[in-house]
Amino acid sequence: MKVSFRLNGRPALVHAGAGENLLTVLRRDLGVLSVRETCGIGVCGACTALVDGEPISTCLLLAPLADGCEIVTVEGLPDDHAVPRAFAEAHAFQCGFCTPGMILTAAALLDENPTPTDEEIRAALAGNLCRCGCYVKIMEAVRLAAV
Amino acid sequence: MTALPPHIAPVISGQVRYSQDQELPGMLHARILRSPFAHARIVRVDASALPDGVVALLPADVRELGRYGCQIKDQSVLAFDRARYAGDPVAAVAAESAEEAEEALASIEVDYEELPAALGIDDALTAQVLVHDRIQISDNDASYFGIRPESGTNVCHRFRIAHGDIDEGFARADVIVEETFRTAAAQHAAMEPHACLASWDGDRLDLWTGTHTPFNVREDVAGVFGLPEENVRVVCPPMGGSFGAKTFVRLEALTAALARKASRPVRCVLPRSEEWVTNNRHPSLIRVRIGALEDGTLVAKDVQAWIDTGAYADCGPGVAVKIGYSVVGPYRIPNVSVESRCVYTNAPPNGAFRGFGATQAVWASESLMDRLADRLGIDPLDLRLRNVLRSGDTFCTGEAVHDVHFADCLERAASAIGWKDGRRGKGLCVLLKGMQTPSRAAIAIEAEDDGSYTLRCATAEMGQGSRRALSLVASELLGVPVEEVRFPDPDTSIVPYDTRATSSRSTYMMGRALEEAVRDLRHDGRRGVGEVRNEGGLDPDTGQGLASSHWHQGAGAAVVRVDEETGKVEVVRLHAAVYAGRVVNPPGAELQNEGSMIMGLGGALLEGVVFADGQVTNANLSDYEIPSIADMPELTHELVQQVGAEVHGLGETAVPPVPAAIGNALGSLGLHVTELPITAEAVLDAVDRRDRAAREPA
Amino acid sequence: MQPEFIAPRSLEEVLAVRAERGDEATVLAGGTFLTILINQRLLQPSCLLSLGGVPGLNEIVANGDLRLGAMTRHRAVERSPEVVEGWPALARAFSIVASPRVRNQATVGGVLADADYASDPPAILCALRARAVARRSSGEREIPIDELITGYYETSLEPDEVIVEARVPRNDGPAVYRKFRSRSHEDRPCVSVAAARHEGTLRVVVGAVSGRPQLFPDVCSLADGVRLDRELATEIGRRYSEAIEPIGDVRGSAGYRRRIIAVEVRRALEELNA
Repeated sequence: MKVSFRLNGRPALVHAGAGENLLTVLRRDLGVLSVRETCGIGVCGACTALVDGEPISTCLLLAPLADGCEIVTVEGLPDDHAVPRAFAEAHAFQCGFCTPGMILTAAALLDENPTPTDEEIRAALAGNLCRCGCYVKIMEAVRLAAV
Repeated sequence: MTALPPHIAPVISGQVRYSQDQELPGMLHARILRSPFAHARIVRVDASALPDGVVALLPADVRELGRYGCQIKDQSVLAFDRARYAGDPVAAVAAESAEEAEEALASIEVDYEELPAALGIDDALTAQVLVHDRIQISDNDASYFGIRPESGTNVCHRFRIAHGDIDEGFARADVIVEETFRTAAAQHAAMEPHACLASWDGDRLDLWTGTHTPFNVREDVAGVFGLPEENVRVVCPPMGGSFGAKTFVRLEALTAALARKASRPVRCVLPRSEEWVTNNRHPSLIRVRIGALEDGTLVAKDVQAWIDTGAYADCGPGVAVKIGYSVVGPYRIPNVSVESRCVYTNAPPNGAFRGFGATQAVWASESLMDRLADRLGIDPLDLRLRNVLRSGDTFCTGEAVHDVHFADCLERAASAIGWKDGRRGKGLCVLLKGMQTPSRAAIAIEAEDDGSYTLRCATAEMGQGSRRALSLVASELLGVPVEEVRFPDPDTSIVPYDTRATSSRSTYMMGRALEEAVRDLRHDGRRGVGEVRNEGGLDPDTGQGLASSHWHQGAGAAVVRVDEETGKVEVVRLHAAVYAGRVVNPPGAELQNEGSMIMGLGGALLEGVVFADGQVTNANLSDYEIPSIADMPELTHELVQQVGAEVHGLGETAVPPVPAAIGNALGSLGLHVTELPITAEAVLDAVDRRDRAAREPA
Repeated sequence: MQPEFIAPRSLEEVLAVRAERGDEATVLAGGTFLTILINQRLLQPSCLLSLGGVPGLNEIVANGDLRLGAMTRHRAVERSPEVVEGWPALARAFSIVASPRVRNQATVGGVLADADYASDPPAILCALRARAVARRSSGEREIPIDELITGYYETSLEPDEVIVEARVPRNDGPAVYRKFRSRSHEDRPCVSVAAARHEGTLRVVVGAVSGRPQLFPDVCSLADGVRLDRELATEIGRRYSEAIEPIGDVRGSAGYRRRIIAVEVRRALEELNA
């Protein structure tokens, strides 16, 4: 079936099976490789995209449900966005596999709450797993971006 | 994000292309059919209903191929006579899409005759089941240490240390304590799964694969297909984490065999659930007995250790060796006896896992130190300080130790958690961990026409930051900005031979090789090659020799709170002090320490693979949990440096002390646990035991 | 085979499809649970019937009772000033489900229809005497939550019915929701306890331990007209722990859960009293 949405500000039209998820469509049909599959069950956050401004597990969103939505992946953040800059400055990554999902989740948090407490940062990011264990510096990065 | 430095920009902007992202035109996608039984004879495999356009790799295709295995050649490309664990590959398919491949698996019929299985160490030692009838030692350089199988049993390697006179030692002891400790299997759970792309051109094979042991893979895969090693090229794109999972042959032989049969390139990206049947951490059973004089002086230590290597040995024999000496701990003990055995079972293969045996060894050894302190009525810190190795002391392997900082690390860790202000809820741990010895490393530097330099070596990128560290060292040595140093992905057809990027040795060994390469470059100004070796090794029957050319050293400290009605443990504070020698890349070094501690925290409280009848029952990231940012305690650490010291690898030193420090913190509350992970349920049982003991008249 | 995808623009149309095709048309709300099943091939639906195009199903109306449309996202419930003000324990329970990502997508109707034993909302909805409104072409009925969920992933919904709303009556007393995780902060509950007082009557519901939310009105009636002191709270906890046959899984054995039920019920009641 045809599914159309806006991806990083540009219109996109794909042909997808109704049982296929947005992650598959983004990677296979649109070549967006910054969304990544780790768990496949929505617990890790490596496939996070912003859908209408809110973070979503693209592995849990059936493609037809993305129809008409505004989808943003890390490629779609403006060059001068504070969050990616802060992640770079704080060295808040190792292998980098989870990094786009972390950045998008943090960006959505700061959009809603520009001055979060540490507790609020933890609550917002707790669903994004980083097996390298960069959490100390990820906390620093989000604090940095919030300032 | 053009303004970000080139080593950071691709990560931040999501543009890193990992092993799983590699593609070739005309590529097919692979899926693997696995045995549902822990042990079964494969009676019949029928692929006659295979859909059109799908290629299947079947037992008949692999029967004549060679076996592989870095230390023991015990693994065939598919199981064709017996499936030896629930998850053992019995067939594989390649199709135009992963979905089609997945569907095609259902069209293959396999008949099995279930056999009795050896499930777990105890079972494997007593049961009549032999997982392998005979074994062939590998000539791969990963089997350097002399493998000692015990024939007619499931023991594929036995390592022994005999130091001093153990009987006399215990005879002198005023106090003797002993305990048995266990650790469960754990899963690496790298964010990126195993992934491999194979492509043939005649009898030449190209592999793009997530591995940090490219040369071991090349050697083993060439052996499988009976090819000269030069015919196999292994390229290592960046990995989304490994933690030891992506070492030695995993998917490479199978993917290559499929590609050969399909006459098309084939890519295999492992579905998440299959990670748990591909490589886990060795479960262990360790009995430790230790004797001391009244004043706390250690006089004797006797250890019997067994590790469950699963159905295929992988690097299990090497892990048994590492456990063998790590379990003695960084102590001066005149009389030591250790027997460490690697045991086959009908479990998924267990292999390298960040810590490489030290986590299991330190858990047993350091937990018992606190019991001993208890019995002696000595402060656990004082007991350790009285006995830790100091420069010039002799370790149980007979080697003298130098550049050691155990006491310093311990004192720093203790002071960080306010040890002197009261010990309730607090625990300490100290560890020594060896580095791959013997081993060699080589690196080449090429001067480019534009004035830049290219580094070529086998060190693969998995997030550990070695390549950044080496680039920084190169830039310093060459006197050029780091941006002028290029570092392409390792490619065995170009880079000089290296043992492997494991055992936290890359920065140290490669750093030294690099110095030599830079010297060599001065001769013609175009290309320089440097190679270093660290010589040594232990006699497998006496454990005497040189275990490690330098020591990874560290100490951990934990503060816990326990909900004694539920057994739920809250780690409030974690600290690690790790000897770093000289730090090359501060943020990278810090990340390695922090990441290690967090992985240690997971191993302490959360992570255990659960089996029922040999099948993994928690093969997903909801039932098998790894720590999240919300599980973080107040976490601090320090990198202990020394002017003029050697660079020390930091990849795993801070993992092993965490579980034991947490266990000892629980011990300070009278809650004694012996098994990892420490579940809430086990802690609640410990509360019951403590309270029962308190009620009973002494 | 990819499923057929139907996204009607009206509830009548949805109900017509359900009337005609019954369970063959799998109702799709947020899709978090369904997509996991599809990803893992545990479910291969021939037809997906999406509620996403139906107007009016995502409304939160607090007018005496609280009405949560079936398509209301968990995030909307936790953020709703009306819910936070009038049903704070409910807002809290929704706010600690999984991660913000899942809560952005998962719906009120979905969580009820999935009947997942380890979900947070059913226990608190049950304690608050909520009812699911199930609609079919011929009319609607209200089903108490403990009658809606009949077992592991099983409900009493008929093949032609669709949940359109959850109705939560006003509660005149306090309510609490406790989620005991035996492992990580991100874990699903090992034991959850919801408790509420209304018109002097106590309702204690234990979740995540069995196929359906566990409610024992007889035991709760011990608290009728008396002060809920620690001793009584302990007694109610003990009775719940005896009455329930808990499951054992990676989050705790049956025996462990039994002990935790006693502790957590008591704590919930102490919290309720505080």
